[in-house]
Amino acid sequence: MKKLKLDFVSSTVLSEKDPDKRINFILSKVKDGSILVIDGVLKPEEEMNLIRETMRRVDDGFPGIEVCSLKKTGKFLDKFIEGIKDQTENIQRMLGTLTGNQSITTHMRTGITFIGPAKVIKKIKKNPDSFSVLAEV
Amino acid sequence: MKLGFLDWVLETFGLKKPIRLGIYGSVNVGKTTLANKIALDWTGEEIGKVSSVPHETRYVQKKEKIKIKHKGRNITINLLDMPGLATKVDYRDFLKYGIKRKEAKERAKEATQGVIEAIKWLNNVDTVLAVMDATKDPLTQVNATLLGNLEAKKIPVIIVINKMDLKNAKPENIKEVFSQYPTVEISALTGYNMDKLYEAISKYARR
Repeated sequence: MKKLKLDFVSSTVLSEKDPDKRINFILSKVKDGSILVIDGVLKPEEEMNLIRETMRRVDDGFPGIEVCSLKKTGKFLDKFIEGIKDQTENIQRMLGTLTGNQSITTHMRTGITFIGPAKVIKKIKKNPDSFSVLAEV
Repeated sequence: MKLGFLDWVLETFGLKKPIRLGIYGSVNVGKTTLANKIALDWTGEEIGKVSSVPHETRYVQKKEKIKIKHKGRNITINLLDMPGLATKVDYRDFLKYGIKRKEAKERAKEATQGVIEAIKWLNNVDTVLAVMDATKDPLTQVNATLLGNLEAKKIPVIIVINKMDLKNAKPENIKEVFSQYPTVEISALTGYNMDKLYEAISKYARR
């Protein structure tokens, strides 16, 4: 019987890493065959970086990933707080550029992310508030 | 978008820099068919090859200085037909189309490079036509990621609901999910509603 490995990762673990290391952490796990469930959502730019980095790692045994994220539909206050966090990170990044410190950590959005190897995850059916996954081992 | 006097003068006398109009979307949604239709309508020449095999477009295809005229507005665009965005590229998928293994592997390699190139170009487009297949589920991660990035970069986007000539087209699904964006229902293949698309381009496209 073939086995399926699911890793549930806290967004705190990922938030401590800078964006490049975060993507590397995710893809290393998925390329090794793990399915990741994270209690947070990457920013759109990071999601695009995840796709780009996945493409760089595609080979005969690793055709890519299947990914699905559900963001918490924010109320005004949530969006306001996210905005402040973003601005703080932008300032940190600017200061980091000036001081030569490039290792800036960024927070993850509230929500849930599912990422698995495309070899195993055959289909993800997404609805606005939920998603279901079809896997084949 | 309201046109200022200076913009009007520059447009009328062809002095304004072309708008870099990127055509983005998932694989096989009809991006190149649309690029061909736009290029054919305004220049008489097509831009690229269309195929049912996924990832036919693996390089960015360009057609520069296309002049679009709509209701007195003259817009000059550089049309950029992007390779389809995807989170996976499996060479085995190409074997189903009768492509030999060696060629399929080469095609897959080029397809991954194409996705990377399309992502890079997001920093060099002014306005985007996000093409979606009217017969398919629009709630995909590729669509969400693309639109999220365009929003973050403040790049104007028009959602183009393509393949309206097919019987099972359900544009209402896309309109409901992406109600905050301007949408146009077209068939790039038959030319259905292309005038509406040009109207939307002249209204929303900007540098």
